[in-house]
Amino acid sequence: MTDEGPRSIAPADGTAADTQGIKIVGFLCNWCSYGGADTAGVCRFKQPTDLRVVRIPCTGRMDPLFIAKSLIYGVDGVLVSGCHPRDCHYAVGNFYARRRMEAFKAFLPFMGIDTRRFKYTWVSASEGQQWQKVVTEFSEQIHELGPNPGVRRQTGENSKVSTGLR
Amino acid sequence: MLETDRNQLHKLVEEALPELDMVIGWGQSTDSFQTTPVFVRDAKQISQLTLGPFCSQNLTGYLVKPPALDAAPKEGAKPIGICVKGCDSRSLVALIQEKFLTRERVRIFGIPCRGTVDWNKVGKLVDLSNVKSATVEEDVLVVDDSQTTHRIKLEEVLARKCYGCRYPNPLIQDVTIGEPATPRSTSIESSYRDVDRLDAKPLEERLDFWQSELDRCIRCYACRNACPLCVCQDKCIIESREPRWLTQRVGIPEKFLFHFIHAMHLAGRCTGCGECERACPMDIPVTLIKEKLNKIMEERLGYSAGLDVEAVPPLLTFNPGDTEI
Amino acid sequence: MAVKIFIATDQLDSVLEKLATKIDLWIPALLKEDKSGPTGFIPYEPGKSPVFERQTTLPTKKLLLPQVETLLRFEYKKDPEGGSTSSIVVDDARQVRPTLVFGARSCDVRALITMDRVFSQGPYVDPYYVERRKNTFFATLVCEQNDSKCFCSSVGGGPADMEGSHLKIVKLDEGYVVEALTKEAGSLLEGLGEAVDKAKDTKAGKIVKEASKRIVGDLDTKGCAEAFRNRFAQNDFWVQMVSQCLSCGVCTYVCPTCYCFTITDETQNLKGERMRSWDSCMFSQYTLEASGHNPRPTKLERYRNRVGHKFSYIPEKYEGILGCCGCGRCIRSCPVTIDIRQVVGNLKENSNEQ
Ligand code: SF4
Ligand code: SF4
Ligand code: SF4
Ligand code: SF4
Repeated sequence: MTDEGPRSIAPADGTAADTQGIKIVGFLCNWCSYGGADTAGVCRFKQPTDLRVVRIPCTGRMDPLFIAKSLIYGVDGVLVSGCHPRDCHYAVGNFYARRRMEAFKAFLPFMGIDTRRFKYTWVSASEGQQWQKVVTEFSEQIHELGPNPGVRRQTGENSKVSTGLR
Repeated sequence: MLETDRNQLHKLVEEALPELDMVIGWGQSTDSFQTTPVFVRDAKQISQLTLGPFCSQNLTGYLVKPPALDAAPKEGAKPIGICVKGCDSRSLVALIQEKFLTRERVRIFGIPCRGTVDWNKVGKLVDLSNVKSATVEEDVLVVDDSQTTHRIKLEEVLARKCYGCRYPNPLIQDVTIGEPATPRSTSIESSYRDVDRLDAKPLEERLDFWQSELDRCIRCYACRNACPLCVCQDKCIIESREPRWLTQRVGIPEKFLFHFIHAMHLAGRCTGCGECERACPMDIPVTLIKEKLNKIMEERLGYSAGLDVEAVPPLLTFNPGDTEI
Repeated sequence: MAVKIFIATDQLDSVLEKLATKIDLWIPALLKEDKSGPTGFIPYEPGKSPVFERQTTLPTKKLLLPQVETLLRFEYKKDPEGGSTSSIVVDDARQVRPTLVFGARSCDVRALITMDRVFSQGPYVDPYYVERRKNTFFATLVCEQNDSKCFCSSVGGGPADMEGSHLKIVKLDEGYVVEALTKEAGSLLEGLGEAVDKAKDTKAGKIVKEASKRIVGDLDTKGCAEAFRNRFAQNDFWVQMVSQCLSCGVCTYVCPTCYCFTITDETQNLKGERMRSWDSCMFSQYTLEASGHNPRPTKLERYRNRVGHKFSYIPEKYEGILGCCGCGRCIRSCPVTIDIRQVVGNLKENSNEQ
C-alpha cells in the first residue's frame, strides 16, 4: 500500500531483499552511468546488492522531488549518476542538474534529513571500475548510517505540540 | 505623515487612472484593522485606497494569475496600475525577469515601507476578537478593543520577514509615495537570523521542529496560491493525477513532500516576500523553508531574486565551470 | 429530571480523565504552544487543558467527515493455477468508536443539521457518516465569546442554541455546570463532578438566558436564495465582490458545513485503498472534466458556487435551512479578508439593476 512507502517495493527480479534490508535508489542516466553499471556487470565486478536502479533519460530529468520523496518515505540512500560534465548526451542536462542537486544537498539538513544519504556523481559508460567504486563506497556509507526512519508517519494529535521557532 | 502619503496616493492615482485599465491597491476590509486588495477601475473608488503598515498583502500575483487580469493584452490595451512595497517590487522584478509580464504593462506606484503588522503577533498581546479601531501613530500601533486602548510599539509586532528586509524601498517604480525608508538589515547575517537559529540546532531537533510544525498543515495550499511566483496554479504538480506524486493522505510525509516541492520550485526565484507564511491559516513558518534556499543561493551563487530585471535565475541557467556551487 | 453536575475549575482535568475512560474524548486545544495560536479538536490526554476561551481555528467537522478516510481496502489475488484471471478481495475498513466532543460550540453543532440533510436523510444515505454521527456526542458550550466575525443568529442559530447537542456546558467563574440533554448522555455523567446547588443553578440559568437573548450578527438572509439567482449571471457583481480571491480553499477547509469530497483509489502493486478526502469547490480540479473543459474556469465562478450552494441551493432544496452556521471561520482565515457576510448582504441590494 502507498503508505507503507518504499519498504514495500520488491526488487524487480523477484528475489528477496538483502538480509539487512538496506535500500538504495539509484537514478542513472541512460547514456553514461546506466551503461557504466552495465559494464561493471558484464565484467563481473563484485557489487553490493542494496541498489535499485531507476533509469532516467538524463540527469537533467532529475527532479529533486524524486530524491525528496525517496528520503521522506524512508529509502536509506539516493544515488544519482550521469555523464561527466561536458560529456552530456544532451550537451547541458547535467550542468543544470549539478546546480539543482548542489542546492538540494545543502537544503536537506535544514529540514532535518541527513545529507549523507544523498550523493550524486558522474560515471561514463566505459567506467565499470569507477562504478563499482562509487556504489561500494556509497553503500558502505549508508550501512554505517543504518536504516533511514524517514519522516514520522504518525500525526501528532496525541503527541507534543510545536513550541514554534525559539 | 500617513495622511499626507494617502492623499498623495489618491492624487497620483486620480491623475493616472484615465490612462490605466485599473489600479490594484489596498483598501479597508470589513473589519476595523485588516486590509483587503481593491481593484480601482472608477474614480469613485479611489477614496478606498489606503497605505501603511496594515497593507500586508503582496498584490503582484494578481497580475499573472487566472483569471489573469490581462494575460495576453490586446494591442493598445491600457497598462495596469499597481501599488507595491519594497518586497512586492521584487516579485514584480522576478515576474518581469521570467517574462510573465513586460515592464510597459504596469504603472508602478512605489511605496517605501516601514514594515507591515503581523496580526498574529498583535493577537498575543491584545484580544483581537472585538477590536473597535486600530490606527498607527508614528511608530506606535494603537488598538482599541472596546474596553482599553493598547499602545504597542510597531517594531514588536512586525511580520517576520520585515526584520531581515534589505530593500524596503521599491526597486522599480514609476512614482514614489512618501519618504524613503531605512533598511532594517544590510547584511546576509542579519537577514537570515531565523535560518541560522534553526541551523544551529542538531539535525534531530530540526527534523522534530518541522515534523511538529508541518503536522498542523491542512494541505489547503493557500501558501501556494498566495505566492506571486507560484505561476503554475491550476496546473500544479502536487495535484497532478497522472503521475500522482502525492497521495490524498494527510500524514506528515505528504506534507513534507509538498513543502519540499514548493520550496524547490521557488529555489532561486523566491524573493522572500512572506506571502506564503502570511496566508497560512495554521501559522506555519513556511517562508522559513524558502529562506534557507535563498540563503544558499546568495552565499554560493551570489544571487538574490528580484533585484535585477536582466538577471537569469540561477537554477534556470548554468556555468560550465561550476564545481560545487 | 435531567442529569446535571458541577465541575469546579480545578477538578476539570480529573473529571475529563474519568470521562475519557468511558468514551473517546476530544477537546478543543492549542495546536501550537502559543496562547493565541491555531486551535483545533484533539483527543484528550491527561494534563492537556481545553481551550474554552475562543472558537477553534478548525471546526469539529473532521470527527464526522475526516479529511481522509479509507472507505474500503481491496486486493487482487492471482489465480493460483496461473491463469490470467484474478479475484478481488474487498474489505470494509470502517472503524467507528463512540466519541464525545467536550467543548464544541453551537455553531459547530448547527453545522451538522446541514450535514445530516445531505448525508443521512436521503435520497442517498452515507453509511460512514451515519455511523459516526450516531456515535458522536457533543457537549456544547453556551457561547459567551462571540467576536466581530460571528453571525450565528443570522443563519438560524444562536449562542445558546442546543439543537443537536447532547450535553450543555455553562461556564461559571468557579467552574462548569454540565447538563445532559439526552438520556444516553446522562449516563456519561454518572459518578462525575458534584451536585449543582441552588445558587450555581440560578447563576447558570441566568447565563443561558442572557446568551439566548443575544443577537449575534446582523446579516439579513431573508430572500437570499432568490437574490442569488438574480445575481447569478451578473458577472460584474462577482468581479466586484471577489476579484481578490486566491482560490486557495482555506475558507472551505475551515468551514464546518463545507462537505464536498472526492474519492480516489490508491493502489500499489496488487493492493489498494479507496479513500475519501476533502475537496473544495475553490479548486480548479473540482469541476475539471475529462475532456479538459472546466465549467468553472476561474475563481469568480468558484466563489459564486460557494455562496450559491450555501445561501441558495441548500435552502431551496432543504426547506429553507442554510448551508452556513455563521461561525465566521472563513472570514477569519481568508488571507485576503473576503467577508462572506458582505457578499451575501450585497446579493439583495439593487439585485435587479444591471
Ligand atoms: S515562496 Fe513565499 S516568500 Fe517566496 S516568493 Fe513565494 S510567497 Fe513570497
Ligand atoms: S497554507 Fe499552511 S496549512 Fe495550507 S498548505 Fe500551506 S502550510 Fe499547509
Ligand atoms: S479563503 Fe479567501 S482567498 Fe481563499 S478561496 Fe476562500 S475566499 Fe478565496
Ligand atoms: S461559510 Fe463561513 S461562516 Fe458559514 S459556516 Fe462556513 S466558515 Fe462558517
